[in-house]
Amino acid sequence: MSGSLLTPNLVGLCRSLTEILLGIVKAIFDALSLPGLGSWFMSPGVVVFFTYLIATLVMVMWAALVNLLSVMWVERKLYSRIQDRRGIMLGVPWPWSKKYKRGMTNLGWGFLQNIADGVKLLQKENITPASADKLLFHAAPAIIVSSTIMVFAVFPFSENFYYTKVALGVLFVLAALSLGPFAIILAGYSSNNKYTLIGGLRAAAMMLSYEIPLILCVVAVVLLSGTLDPFQMVAVQERPLLGTIVPSWNVFSPPQMLGFVIFFIALVAELERIPFDIPEADAELVEGWTTEYGGMRFGFLFGFKWLRAFAGAGLLVILYLGGWNGPVFATFSVLGYPIPILPQEFWFLLKTYLVVMVIIWISWSIPRVRADQVLKIGWNRLIPLALLTILGAAVFKTMGWF
Amino acid sequence: MFLVFSAVEIVGAILTVTSKKLVRAAFWLLITLITISGIYILLRAEFVALIQILVYAGAVPVLLLFGIMLTRKKMLEESETSEAK
Amino acid sequence: MAEFWVNMGPQHPMTHGLWNLRIKVDGETIVDAEPIIGYLHRGVEKISEVREFQKVIVLTDRLCYVSSITWSHAYCLAVEELMGIEIPERGKYLRVISLEIQRIASHLMWLAAFGADIGLLTMLLYALRERELFLDLIEIMAGLRLNSNYTRVGGVRNDVPADFEKSCQRVIAHFLKKLDEYEDMMENSKTFLMRTQGIGKLSKEDAINWGVTGPNLRGSGADVDLRRTIPYEVYDQIDWEPAIEKDCDCYARSIVRMREMRESCKIVLDALKKMPPGPYRMKPPRRAEGEAFRATEDSRGEALFYVAADGDDRPYRVKIRSPIFCTLAAVPQMMRGHKVADVVSIMGSIDICVGEIDK
Repeated sequence: MSGSLLTPNLVGLCRSLTEILLGIVKAIFDALSLPGLGSWFMSPGVVVFFTYLIATLVMVMWAALVNLLSVMWVERKLYSRIQDRRGIMLGVPWPWSKKYKRGMTNLGWGFLQNIADGVKLLQKENITPASADKLLFHAAPAIIVSSTIMVFAVFPFSENFYYTKVALGVLFVLAALSLGPFAIILAGYSSNNKYTLIGGLRAAAMMLSYEIPLILCVVAVVLLSGTLDPFQMVAVQERPLLGTIVPSWNVFSPPQMLGFVIFFIALVAELERIPFDIPEADAELVEGWTTEYGGMRFGFLFGFKWLRAFAGAGLLVILYLGGWNGPVFATFSVLGYPIPILPQEFWFLLKTYLVVMVIIWISWSIPRVRADQVLKIGWNRLIPLALLTILGAAVFKTMGWF
Repeated sequence: MFLVFSAVEIVGAILTVTSKKLVRAAFWLLITLITISGIYILLRAEFVALIQILVYAGAVPVLLLFGIMLTRKKMLEESETSEAK
Repeated sequence: MAEFWVNMGPQHPMTHGLWNLRIKVDGETIVDAEPIIGYLHRGVEKISEVREFQKVIVLTDRLCYVSSITWSHAYCLAVEELMGIEIPERGKYLRVISLEIQRIASHLMWLAAFGADIGLLTMLLYALRERELFLDLIEIMAGLRLNSNYTRVGGVRNDVPADFEKSCQRVIAHFLKKLDEYEDMMENSKTFLMRTQGIGKLSKEDAINWGVTGPNLRGSGADVDLRRTIPYEVYDQIDWEPAIEKDCDCYARSIVRMREMRESCKIVLDALKKMPPGPYRMKPPRRAEGEAFRATEDSRGEALFYVAADGDDRPYRVKIRSPIFCTLAAVPQMMRGHKVADVVSIMGSIDICVGEIDK
């Protein structure tokens, strides 16, 4: 099978990195004739502490910096292209190009624009409204940011690229994502503004009602694969389907096809993308529940929606699209280590970004749905269909068809 | 770990009962429920802990807040007074 | 939940200009609405009294920057009646062409704003892209894009260049293809229909009683188009038919505007074909006396000008009746019972322009 890029796993790699770094530190202290301090740095507790510190840093940087910026860049470029324009173009040219003398140009591919926007938001003043409930106003962004980062504690990018291996990983992701509505309603209330209040109420109503079909679809998947462990779920989807070369991804099984569609719609709603972005309908509620936030607090609320979109799309890939399974398995070895040409991380990110792009594509080509219509769709259509999916999955499981 | 969790939980529970604003009470209730799930994890009951977060921390305070906001006459006290001027 | 007032404006994405809509909501349902206007009052009517007849056109151009030619044209018609002059035939045709191009540009601006209102930002950029082409045509005609100052008392400012017909045909052929695309985006989109059908009902009787005119009235099923009922310029010699829908809701109003754009294209092409050679402008008398009253079909409704003069070289009194000013009065009735999100559909569909409301 296709291998992962990280050979033992993320924590293992970080452990060897830590040992190397702490070895250097020990050598320095030995040279300074402080051998006690040096050997304290090599003691198991300190090594484990630094290992997890570095692993956490790597995971958070990877998730919240690399992927967040890429998702934002993909979105901004893609919807610009849909709208027949070029989109963000800020870039730094290569040092040897003629444009370099002019410094930053507007002819690049625009990846730096997001960073520039972030810097701009950092420079802005953090305004707290005078009549806001200060504690809750400050707590709400913290809850949203921490609960989104929490997702990546168990989120596997490949067989070996994960932070911790939890047997109930899918449930953990869902639980972390379900903390969002409360923070949103807190933010809406504590800003003491009518727009934010209406936006917060709408957001909470919508996210609560769409979480139910989301979780019901996961129940159907769990019924068929018989586990809540994302690794085993992906392993189940690895084998080929009925003697063909098509892999047995969940999306190809009849009840799960329906489940896939429902999960996708519920996910779009959960991520507050445009057909269901009633909580921050900018034409009627200004910016919805984020209206009163400014500076980097707004940046966090705004940016972490994309991170939630990324996490949701990743969950969709794990549940339905075979996770990190891919068709190319070739490896070459360097110094005895097998290094895959197209590793599992590549396939996982490819699928995830495709799902993100489909979400963006949908959200920029149809108008927004009204609040009561959104709830009607959720309760009248999606939940009965999700129950039907569970029924179908149960029948398939009992008859042993899949 | 247990001491930290239980201390936070007890403080949160006391604040839930004593705070004057109902929305703050709901916030402290959320803190309490999350720390309870932390104690479940310490007890090696991961499934219960996650269900605790999913149901009790994710849904119940939101329903409470809905109840608070839909029943109270004056939600935005500042703006109501400024309207009266 | 308790009922409370929400201010939508003066600075709010919904407003398209500087005005305020206060809505009283019960949860998400609108109980009452109250438009508050006057933020953009510039006193056009009063300033007109101290300017010569030709110089007022600069002000009427700025009544609505989206549809400047139609407003100047209404003023010029009234002044010409006051002076009792008949402008050359070619001037009339050129006026019709410029009016219809301006109408398309204005409707495209409406389409863009409506799309952005109901959450379809892609529509905004598409419609503005096509609007540029028509602004270019206006630039070829008048030399300016927005406040074109093209219509003058006694004709138009200048003749069109020789290849104008060709560029018009090219633009319109391109635009008609794009218009099919937009109609596809509206009619075949379930989400769009959900947001517009059955929203903002305004029955024919109510519309007439409130003084609603233009596409909004035709969307309510009334066959009133001043270009046909009181033909001015050469509209009676041109082959076209008005767009009327009977559904009385936001969707009907949108479809009326989409069909009007098609008809305007037809009018432009037909007028270009029938346009005779000859002079395009005459010298009007400097002074006038008496009073005149003319109504034209603006892109938003009936634009009425009353001009009185006492023998001086400037008007004694100018009175403007703007269509959206009257339509705004009917807004609370259209809104009652709908949801907060329908505010943007309704306000988008009546195509508001604050410049002409506040004058």
